[in-house]
Amino acid sequence: MKVAYYPGCATHGLSKDVDIATKKVAEVLGLELVEVEDWNCCGGGFLDEKDEDAHVALNLRNLSNVEKMGLDKMVTPCSVCLGSHRLATYKYNENKDLRKRVDKRISGTSIKYENKATAEHLVWVLVRDVGLENIKKHVKRSLNGLKVGAYYGCQMLRPEQIMGFELSFKPHSLQDLISVTGATPVMFPMATACCGFPLMGSNPKGGLKLAFNVLNSAKSSGADIMIHPCSLCHLQLDTLQDKVKNEFNVGWTLPAIYITQLLGLSFGLSPEDLGLGNYAKGVLKQKGVIQ
Amino acid sequence: MPEVKQVEGKNVEVNSQPKSSAIRNEEKEIVVKIKRFSPDKGEWWQEYKLKVDRFTQMTEVLRRIKTEQDPSLSYRAACHMAVCGSCGMKINGAPRLACKTLAIELTKEYNSNEITLEPMDLYPRVKDLVVDLDDFYERMYKVKPRLYPSEEILEGKAEHRLVPEDQRELWKFAQCIWCGLCVSSCPSVRNDAEFLGPAAHAKGYRFLADPRDTITEERMKILVDSSWRCTYCYQCFNVCPRDIEPVTTIKKTRAWSSKMKDKTKVIETGEKHINAIADTIRKSGKLLEAEVYLRTYGLVQAMSDMLYMLKSGRMKYTLIKEVPVKDLNDIEKVMKGDEQ
Ligand code: SF4
Ligand code: SF4
Ligand code: FES
Repeated sequence: MKVAYYPGCATHGLSKDVDIATKKVAEVLGLELVEVEDWNCCGGGFLDEKDEDAHVALNLRNLSNVEKMGLDKMVTPCSVCLGSHRLATYKYNENKDLRKRVDKRISGTSIKYENKATAEHLVWVLVRDVGLENIKKHVKRSLNGLKVGAYYGCQMLRPEQIMGFELSFKPHSLQDLISVTGATPVMFPMATACCGFPLMGSNPKGGLKLAFNVLNSAKSSGADIMIHPCSLCHLQLDTLQDKVKNEFNVGWTLPAIYITQLLGLSFGLSPEDLGLGNYAKGVLKQKGVIQ
Repeated sequence: MPEVKQVEGKNVEVNSQPKSSAIRNEEKEIVVKIKRFSPDKGEWWQEYKLKVDRFTQMTEVLRRIKTEQDPSLSYRAACHMAVCGSCGMKINGAPRLACKTLAIELTKEYNSNEITLEPMDLYPRVKDLVVDLDDFYERMYKVKPRLYPSEEILEGKAEHRLVPEDQRELWKFAQCIWCGLCVSSCPSVRNDAEFLGPAAHAKGYRFLADPRDTITEERMKILVDSSWRCTYCYQCFNVCPRDIEPVTTIKKTRAWSSKMKDKTKVIETGEKHINAIADTIRKSGKLLEAEVYLRTYGLVQAMSDMLYMLKSGRMKYTLIKEVPVKDLNDIEKVMKGDEQ
């Protein structure tokens, strides 16, 4: 199966390991990811507050490039990139005044969006199109004994009327993917709460508190490690482990890895193949998953 | 036209007209589990069973439980048509209006005949499903939820006129029914006493952006700092039964920061951050993380945070040079409105 692949800036930047693991896992699964030609930033969930029309236009440009490639599904591993593209097309279709302004803005550019290509989350494509049974066939090493927190975060689920893949107050896609690997999924009260990343740009103290709430909730529910579906959650919840630890005076860390990093481990790929971070390696060694 | 919703990637018709008498006469027995509470007895769960048909709203379920099975149950509902805002509660864990929720639809949505009812989060409980909304009302009044017209208008010397484009911009945000669902589910409200919360922001923006209003400066002082305290989790957008999109009004309010003279630290940092994002996109078509980071927090903070990068093993990624967009002409054109 061939789909357009939109990594987004964080996935090609500080969350590069998300990109590395996703490409490796897709290869094993026979999912052909063709990178969107000459893609641009989606605005990262922020540009719309400064210039809503530019935000919509930039997202339409990516989708219009997907259409030019003859594809209609654009898959992204990043929940914020997903939210950005889906909100942009939603607004463009719903708001006539905005549409007029955006059409004016894109006239004379290469952007010709025909409403054929849509953005989807990698998790949706894995669960629905590749299928849990197919994924299971590639599991070489059961992760039995590992307790994995299923953290959904925000924009893969909300707003439900625009994302629409699963019930936002009762999601199950990540638990299903964890189960496939043989690991035990752990649901916890803050599984769909915000990780605080978007607050880091204006009120970092508040943002860190939200990260602590999520990590603490997963830890208290017995998780050894956590998976998440977003390149920005990755920066917040994994990179800042020690910052959270210091700020909130706790004696533990709870590594957060990307969903394809967990799948990859069960496929028998090495930590290096999957670009696993230091925190995760520590816990996985302790649990005997890697050497 | 039936409404079409995507569930697990498939199009599913909701609220469609009954196609046969079987659907029309559909009946189901449901089990309703209610989280009860009273100041003297504390909290407990109680179960009720009853038959519902395809027209039974959850407020009707509650009315029948109270009148036919248990008069001690307390809940609030008045209009039964999604306008008074009094029947907000958590239904199967999701904040919803009970009157706008049909029991049978719920059993289908969740694939279970069991339905749980709980009071809204955040607000102090009074009894059972009834909560104390004083805190919510205080937030709403803080933003002065009324129009302050000019002297001329008050003296009858002029008329209030609104162009259709402005009316369209404000209309959606004026539809709030003060149900409190969005605030009950907002993480930033819990976290930060200086954040006004989603509903107050929707109401506040509706007047801030109203060209007929005369207290714009005061409104900016009330709203702008608070707007930078929202974490953009989209919970308010998700739960609002009136599709108000409070988070959209918060985004729009942030855009007013540039008009402010006395900026708070939160506003200043936030503005630096978003300007850096826009500038790097304009320059290369991509968001350049290192540059955005430096410009938002300054060198000292950036250096200390480098340590965390190092510890996580992510330092090597700071050196990645992302290829700029080839067709920068496109980017320049779509970003040009930003500079006007
Ligand atoms: S988007 Fe902002 S206002 Fe809305 S629920 Fe989240 S934090 Fe609260
Ligand atoms: S904005 Fe929506 S959810 Fe919030 S109080 Fe108003 S109607 Fe209720
Ligand atoms: S009873 Fe009035 S909104 Fe539900």
